[in-house]
Amino acid sequence: MPVNRKKLAALVVAVLATTAVAGSAAASHTGTPGVTKSQIVIGGTFPYTGPAALYKTIPAAEQAYYAYVNAKGGVHHRKIVDKTLDDSYNPAQTVPSVKQLVEQDHVFAIVGSLGTAPGLSTWDYLNKRHVPQVLLATGDAYWGNCVHHKCQGSTKPWTMGWQPDYPGEAKLYAKYILKHKPNAKIGVLYQDDAYGKNYLAGLKTGLGSHTSQIVDAQSYSVTDSGPVIGSHVVHIAKSGADVFVIFATPSAAITALVVEGQIPGWNPLTFNNNVSANRIFMQLAASKGANVNGVLSTTYVASQTAQPNLPGMKLAKKIIHKYAPGGVGSLDQQFASGDNNLVYGLAVGWTFVDALRHSGQNPTRKSLMRALRSMNETNNPFIYPGMVVKTSKKRTFPMEQLIFEKWAGGAAGDWKTSGKILNSGH
Amino acid sequence: MRRQIPALASLLVVAAVLCVLPFVLSDYNVSLAAQVGIFFVAVLGLNILTGYTGQISIGHGAFMAIGGYTTAVMSRDHHTNLVVTMLMAFAICFVVGLIVGLPALRLSGVYLALVTFALALSIPQIPLQYSTFLGGVGGVQSTETVSNLWIYTAAWTCSAILFVLAWLLLRGRLGRAFRAVRDSEIAAVASGVELPVYKTLAFGISAAYAGVAGSLFVLATNGFAQPSEFDLFLSLELLIGAAVAGLGSLWGVLAGAAFVGLLPQVSTSVPLIGAQHGRDVVFGAAVILVMLLLPDGFAGLLARIRRLARA
Amino acid sequence: MSAETSAIAGLRARGWAVDPGAVTVALVLLGAAIFLLIGCLRSATFAQYTVQGIALGSVYGALALALVLVYRATHVINFAQGELAMLTTYIAYELMLKGLSYWAAFAATLAIAFVLGTLLQVTVIRPVQHSVIAVVIVTVGLFILIDGIVNWIWGGDFKSMPSPFGIDSFNVGGVVISHLYVGMVIVVLASVVLVWALFRFTKLGLGMRAAALRPAAAALVGVRVDSMLAIGWGLAAVLGAVAGLMAEPSQIFLSPTLMQPILVYAFAAAVLGGLESPVGALVGGIAIGVSLTLIVGYVPQNYIGTELQLPLAFAVLLLILLVKPAGLFGRREVRRV
Repeated sequence: MPVNRKKLAALVVAVLATTAVAGSAAASHTGTPGVTKSQIVIGGTFPYTGPAALYKTIPAAEQAYYAYVNAKGGVHHRKIVDKTLDDSYNPAQTVPSVKQLVEQDHVFAIVGSLGTAPGLSTWDYLNKRHVPQVLLATGDAYWGNCVHHKCQGSTKPWTMGWQPDYPGEAKLYAKYILKHKPNAKIGVLYQDDAYGKNYLAGLKTGLGSHTSQIVDAQSYSVTDSGPVIGSHVVHIAKSGADVFVIFATPSAAITALVVEGQIPGWNPLTFNNNVSANRIFMQLAASKGANVNGVLSTTYVASQTAQPNLPGMKLAKKIIHKYAPGGVGSLDQQFASGDNNLVYGLAVGWTFVDALRHSGQNPTRKSLMRALRSMNETNNPFIYPGMVVKTSKKRTFPMEQLIFEKWAGGAAGDWKTSGKILNSGH
Repeated sequence: MRRQIPALASLLVVAAVLCVLPFVLSDYNVSLAAQVGIFFVAVLGLNILTGYTGQISIGHGAFMAIGGYTTAVMSRDHHTNLVVTMLMAFAICFVVGLIVGLPALRLSGVYLALVTFALALSIPQIPLQYSTFLGGVGGVQSTETVSNLWIYTAAWTCSAILFVLAWLLLRGRLGRAFRAVRDSEIAAVASGVELPVYKTLAFGISAAYAGVAGSLFVLATNGFAQPSEFDLFLSLELLIGAAVAGLGSLWGVLAGAAFVGLLPQVSTSVPLIGAQHGRDVVFGAAVILVMLLLPDGFAGLLARIRRLARA
Repeated sequence: MSAETSAIAGLRARGWAVDPGAVTVALVLLGAAIFLLIGCLRSATFAQYTVQGIALGSVYGALALALVLVYRATHVINFAQGELAMLTTYIAYELMLKGLSYWAAFAATLAIAFVLGTLLQVTVIRPVQHSVIAVVIVTVGLFILIDGIVNWIWGGDFKSMPSPFGIDSFNVGGVVISHLYVGMVIVVLASVVLVWALFRFTKLGLGMRAAALRPAAAALVGVRVDSMLAIGWGLAAVLGAVAGLMAEPSQIFLSPTLMQPILVYAFAAAVLGGLESPVGALVGGIAIGVSLTLIVGYVPQNYIGTELQLPLAFAVLLLILLVKPAGLFGRREVRRV
């Protein structure tokens, strides 16, 4: 018996040693990391597990889009390889994952990573090493504000967002309230981190001298249990608010909507931030008793269920069907029930490929950033028709347009956009 | 003296390998080796507490947090030299460890474990409340950031110094007292060991070690200190490392540190399970397997081998 | 021989005894109960919070009870108790997908939980049960492994389970009490009473108590100690399954993080009540549930933000343990030299 254990111990040590040595034998890269004659390797961190796992269809859609592009020959005769890692929306896991992508997998760029706090924990590292950290799946205002101005000690020119920023969206909600419900008493539920505080700050800016109309602002933590979040909603109801603004990630937002529906006699005008306004989230909430009719939000991508006949949505359906990472047809059900994250992912993928095409025959990190900072996309088939993705030296936020939408039709219903495309920009 | 020669030889071998490694490993693997060094320091400290005085703590992540934040805040606000911040972390955590050790005296075994568990969950919450000074959820970014090689050198130098310190402490009266406490508190008291002093001291020392590890940990995380870096999983990893190490052997602590420092990173590239779930499934299974096969840790295994060799 | 049989006879007489010296504790609890009663009568909101707190607290208590069961039998804290409860809830989810009615799936899940619990004790705990630290680490490994497996098989997103009690509520004098909360308390109490009855009135229960308290003596009178320990783990898993199934509707959806916050509260409840005391675990759970709900409901966030709740809870726990180191209902271990 002891002999076997000794062998096992020796084996374990040998394995560990081999791993260490083998890792060191990785080919060193001269020239641009991640770019070879036949491939461009990019990477990103996403919450496949943990409190934000409802977003995991975003990287799936991005990978589907790259597979579609690869099937048609790729970009500059190179196939795009997207290596994604799970960070569970936890910045402590994002840092080692990003280090692995940059230092071991030698990725060309970090593309599409999700999460404000995760992004902030790695942007210093990536900017110091001049690694593009782009098309982040978060609307924090930092991504656009810190290109030319110093934030946390330095400028971050290698970082770029994509979607309309949170304060801009919140300002539109503020303007709507002041216009349609000028004497409103506003209750806010917000996540107690950079993302939630960004939104709240934007709401306050939009309200201007009317900030005192916020009668109750309740913060919650991403790790809070359902009942605790529910208690915050009850607190807001008790404060007499007749407008309820939800700045929460999906699981908390869904909980908030359900609890709101359970409170008898309380029917506030409800705003749901667009990061949690995905159709399937609303349907989940409705299935447990939330009053979803009349809830307001904003959007900037097309909807496969509300606008199925758009050429972009037909293309989206084909791509998701044929190139879903889990196999042909594996995401069809998800797509059909209206998971808008899939369209979002395709839209981001489209922007990246577009920029890559404009980065020259042999892309470098610098040329990629130049292309990304001089975009003028008017034909992205997946974003809301009529909107543009535009950047320049001065314009550091790629998307600055939103359109209001209102939910109708109950548990089987959908969003319906109304009004004009609004400017959410600076 | 005869028993000391093999020990000295093994120390020299380890030191030699550590000096050579940075030249053979890629930069990424140097950062992994640095991680092992950081865990070596923390596990060494925890071993003193758990292994030698029998007090189980699932909260040493809290001390790492205090040490880490010390480094980040001092660097951000006063541009203090990073090594000086590590000394500060050592001192501050020693004091805090003593303070925690005092009420710990009244608690035994499981109660102590659970209270330290509560400590591990609570301390990281404090920066969230005092966000102006302690950065809140956005964290604290140190002014200076360092290279992987710097962390590697610092981590293993600290490991060497603190290992020698531990060896000096434990071979004398202190070590005998610690072992007496672990084996039988009643007998220890009966033979005149001042229980409260030694138990509290053990807490202080182990906390100080964890504090230094915390400083290095924050520097390895790009100089960025944030509450979620010091989550429950970190404290659990430390405990796992100490258990896998077992008691009384340098190689044991090395094995324990390597286990928790490397395995979670390496298991993301397991084929069937995929990068997204590999870490938890493989690491969890590995922990169970190692404990089943080596309940006394690597040190126990080595002791058994030595006994066989002698027989 | 007679000393052992009389010890077992003593066990028979005492059942699950409460420390006689806990008059102070009883008075404090009585005072708290009176405070709550007065609050409920004066304010409908207070009453609603209290009811919610009791319901949630019963779930914490159920999981705490599972922890205490395991601790009494094998003297270890099972860190994986929460994740095991979560796993069994997912199993119930699968059974319901396959067409079983809620309560049929509920019963089947309890049976499966029992088997799972005993299996775990036999395969991974028994081989290392001589070493406390080894067992602790194995349960930590189980925690990580089960979490990984559930995420891998079912994914990390939300699953919808049918609600066993519907979404209606009672209206008692202006206070809205949802059927769910009443149902939670009833199911948990019923399960606890059933397990208690098993311990108190059956020969198996007697054997289990004997095996936990005096294993050597119990073995002498023919009790199969090893099997008793395994059955103890099985019963703990059953209680955990109940906790998970009752926790799910209150969290609205099923996800792998279902039991993680609850585990923390259950630990606190078990420590508060005293790790050897089943009554203590339940009372501790309800106390924590009610306190938490009232604090979140009434204390303004700028005084005690969500961030400070945990450190405060820790400080309170520590204070209580300084005064009563073995918990409110626990007994100070007298160590004979």
